[in-house]
Amino acid sequence: MLSVRFEGICKDFGTVRVLYDVGFSIQKGEVHALIGENGAGKSTLMKILGGYHAPSAGQIFVNGEAVQFHDSKAAEELGIVLIHQEFNLAEDLSIAQNVFLGRELHRGFLLDEATMNKKTVAALEQVGLQLDPRRKLRSLIVAEKQLVEIAKALSRNAKLLIMDEPTATLTPDETQTLFKLIAQLKAEGVTILYISHKLEEVKALSDTVTVLRDGRHIQTAPTQDLSQQEMANLMVGRELSDMFPPKTAPEQPKTVFQAERVSVPGWAREVSFELRRGEILGFAGLVGAGRTELFEGILGLRPRTSGRFALEGRPIDLKSPSQALEQGIVYLSEDRKGKGLHINMALRPNLTLMALERYAHPLLDTSAEARAFAENANRFNIRGGSAEAKASALSGGNQQKLALAKILHPDPKVVILDEPTRGVDIGAKREIYFLIQGLAQRGKSVIVISSELIELIGLCHRLVVMRGGRITGLLDQQEMSEPEIIAYATGLKGSHATA
Amino acid sequence: MHGVLRGLVVMGALLLMAAFAQNKVIMGVSIPAADHGWTAGIVYWANQTKGELEKKYPGIQVIVKTAKDASEQANQIQDLVTVNKINTLVILPYESAPLTKPVAAAKAKGVFVTVVDRGLTDPNAQDAYVAGDNPGLGRVSAEYMAKQLGGKGNIVILRGIPTVIDNQRYDAFMEVMKKYPGIKVLDQKYANWNRDDGFKVMQDFLTRFKQIDAVWAQDDDIAVGVLKAIDEAKRTDIKFVLGGAGMKEMIKKVMDGDKLITADVTYPPRMIQDAMMLTAEARVTGKPMKTPTIIPSVLVTKENAKEYYFPDSPF
Amino acid sequence: MLQPEKPATKSSKIRFNLSGWGPLLGLILLCILATLLNPAFISLDNVFNVLTRTAFTGIIAVGMTFVIISGGIDLSVGSMAALIAGVMILVMNALEPRLGGGTFTVLVGMLLAVGLGAIFGVLHGLIITKGQIEPFIVTLGTLGIFRSFLTYLSQGGAITLQQDLSDRYSPVYYGAFLGVPIPIWVFLAVALIGGLVLNRTRFGRYVQAIGSNEQVARYAAIRVDRIKILTYVILGICVALATILYVPRLGSATPSTGLLWELETIAAVIIGGTSLRGGSGRITGTVVGAILLSTIGNVLNLTSIISVYLNAAVQGIVIIIVAFLQRGRR
Repeated sequence: MLSVRFEGICKDFGTVRVLYDVGFSIQKGEVHALIGENGAGKSTLMKILGGYHAPSAGQIFVNGEAVQFHDSKAAEELGIVLIHQEFNLAEDLSIAQNVFLGRELHRGFLLDEATMNKKTVAALEQVGLQLDPRRKLRSLIVAEKQLVEIAKALSRNAKLLIMDEPTATLTPDETQTLFKLIAQLKAEGVTILYISHKLEEVKALSDTVTVLRDGRHIQTAPTQDLSQQEMANLMVGRELSDMFPPKTAPEQPKTVFQAERVSVPGWAREVSFELRRGEILGFAGLVGAGRTELFEGILGLRPRTSGRFALEGRPIDLKSPSQALEQGIVYLSEDRKGKGLHINMALRPNLTLMALERYAHPLLDTSAEARAFAENANRFNIRGGSAEAKASALSGGNQQKLALAKILHPDPKVVILDEPTRGVDIGAKREIYFLIQGLAQRGKSVIVISSELIELIGLCHRLVVMRGGRITGLLDQQEMSEPEIIAYATGLKGSHATA
Repeated sequence: MHGVLRGLVVMGALLLMAAFAQNKVIMGVSIPAADHGWTAGIVYWANQTKGELEKKYPGIQVIVKTAKDASEQANQIQDLVTVNKINTLVILPYESAPLTKPVAAAKAKGVFVTVVDRGLTDPNAQDAYVAGDNPGLGRVSAEYMAKQLGGKGNIVILRGIPTVIDNQRYDAFMEVMKKYPGIKVLDQKYANWNRDDGFKVMQDFLTRFKQIDAVWAQDDDIAVGVLKAIDEAKRTDIKFVLGGAGMKEMIKKVMDGDKLITADVTYPPRMIQDAMMLTAEARVTGKPMKTPTIIPSVLVTKENAKEYYFPDSPF
Repeated sequence: MLQPEKPATKSSKIRFNLSGWGPLLGLILLCILATLLNPAFISLDNVFNVLTRTAFTGIIAVGMTFVIISGGIDLSVGSMAALIAGVMILVMNALEPRLGGGTFTVLVGMLLAVGLGAIFGVLHGLIITKGQIEPFIVTLGTLGIFRSFLTYLSQGGAITLQQDLSDRYSPVYYGAFLGVPIPIWVFLAVALIGGLVLNRTRFGRYVQAIGSNEQVARYAAIRVDRIKILTYVILGICVALATILYVPRLGSATPSTGLLWELETIAAVIIGGTSLRGGSGRITGTVVGAILLSTIGNVLNLTSIISVYLNAAVQGIVIIIVAFLQRGRR
């Protein structure tokens, strides 16, 4: 049994302060939920407790005693184990090797594989898994890996488990299994600190809730005293009634961009659609429907076997992103860190990268760039870093706003957004929705690819549904509903259509 | 019937030819590729001698192979034995140790082996040894310098690459210098037998020492760099620079009575010619070959420079 | 939606970034030590000697900085310099009977050198980008190719510039302007232009963006292949400039010309704080790194407290110490 108390915890990363004087307690044997928007400081706080970061100021007490962790091992010795969002497992080792990583059992000079395997089976049973301990981690599905991670923690005598968004990658069934396990662990006296975005989970699972916002402790209260709406309001710091801006119809239904019979081998077959001025056109579909690949093909980022395009009635050639940019067409990738932003570069050069010619006379005017950044930081509400801070220092939501500001900086006519709110907290989501709406109102044409149906319904004027690389449905505002979209996306409705 | 007879005749002829081939001298010559001036000289003289030998002894066949490193040279030796069926091998080994075994294997197959310049680690792997005289080069150089300086003065030394050859030259030089307490060796640094390093090291020597009477550059390539450095610094205290090996440009300077290059000491790449000649003679006549044969390092001065000047050689 | 920006923390602008000064600190320490060991070190002549020597590798290192920041590498620079030097001398010698041994012939030679450097650069760039072969492998290949062509042209010996041309050409290395040797001026100019191009032009920004994350750069509509090819062209031209300064020094090209320059230049770039993985780097760091490397050799020649057999060890130790001083930049 283990209790924890935080007192006056502050944390600075370089010049950026991410935690301000945080103090609250976690009681023995409870399930304690920690909620907050992206960038609120949840993960940082948990890493401090797990021994991965040292606090810049403040003190942690475990069972009433002041402690200092030099590394995660020191925290583990007290029974505090952090289960990472991205698992801390070696993919090429076996389950048993992972469970015993760093504290292998020996018999003489040799490893005692037999005993380790046997003990691993027992540890796996504790979490309800029946797997061969010799299997390679690589061969497991995500949910199994997570359970292995928990089994590993338990086999190390964990008394406090920190779970960072454990259900983010799980199916509903797997989530239920995890919840049962959490209940069982709680009954066995393990204290659990649970970080999540999903408020209904928090409501169902936790005894106590702590809310962080902008690095500050807002409230700690029994879960039963707070409704989901109240939690959300505490996280954002304001009422969240209006997520989506009111829709305004595009004033002139003039076609701006036309794509005809676009084929991307393996992903899209003979796709045609048109995009109007001031319109937000949604693209819905299941994972693997070929939406991202279709647009990467259109931009010339993937090989394309057919396809003709016209901009404002005049045929254009699209072979590369730079050619598209010359025509005023920009694309924001769904993969923010891998394709969207230079995480290791400062905010200023990230913002101006696609419109550098504006600052080259022929030498770059860096002070004009800095002014542009200040202006855009204000307009897009990018918080958390100076113009010269690295993009990696920003929270997910602020990174996404920066990425949006970047592709909009060259003042494009056609804006293609792929999962514009992925990994972004509620507050930033709302800002992004208003931003997209604002673009349409100013006469830009926007394409939104998204897996969140509510988002598409709340935002789009028209909606294209894709399935297996083809367009199966085109819905107008009146026809948009979740069941209807799913019907087209899964093949219950619609054969082939042209948008 | 006819067919059988013809077959027998052909077979007989083949056997005869094979027997003849046994007596015929097939000489493989394995040398390093031309990667600096001296080895370029080796390649030149080897090819030159091939022509002379084939003219002199009509039956002889000479195959010259160059290698860019020790392992390539080892493979070439194998090929020479198995593919070209050589019965005589003249080899200038890239390095001694890694080539000892391959050469021994060739000898075990009955190939007569003459090793040139760099001895093998196991002398039993060779039938004859022809070499330049490294200690001699150091000794002759030291004696010349001591004489020219009248037994008194400051000298600096630019060495080659840390190897046995360099040590033999240096040690013999210093041994002679012991007899001349009036000559002070200010310092010695490696210049890696190349011009650029010769230039750099000499420049720094000039910065460091205000009075230098003579320079032992040990090698003609280094001497080229040394001369440029002296020229640029406009220093007049240096009376002469002594190189080594016998590069044609340096011999020419000696011949023309250059102010700084008053002499040179040979370590001639032409030794490959001597080795090939002596080996061929021994093989054709069947007389034993004198081993080891040492090609002495000779002092070249204005008087005898003509004999050592080969304008067609690259070195 | 409009919320006040979080105030940027004050200390960010005031705080002194010690780690970035590591190489310079190392150089200064080395210079102080050298002066104590032998006061001749600090004499103007010696300082000019060292800087003039540094010019070759320093100029190449400036070009190499671009290539490495963009995520590439070029191992062939030393061999390329040797081949350019050899071809340049052969052509000048061949032109001499027709064009005379004057300035014009020398100028033709210089132009040829720059052209060759640029062509080699384009060649590298095309094979690497369009052929999609690792730069390490491509330039390892050309390292061998360039040097063997030079060896072939020289028949293993030296290619020597004719005396009249050599006399006309030699001021380019041995001459001085305002008392400072020409190679130092050229080095300075290349470094300044390099710094300006890297930090203050679109091209420089694109180079950094590509090195930081090539995918992101591609998605941001940067013509990645074109920029990469250009970095190799710049490097090729830098090699040509270095060769133009090198040839008049000894008036000859030999198979040992430019030997190991690739290691020296890459080391200078990395010591100067550029990441071998690309993304970020500084020209000033590269310049300091190059000077530091040639200073080590100079100090060792000026003193004899350490056995000559240990020269390489001393170099290694200094390099590691400097790397320590600038640790934490990443």
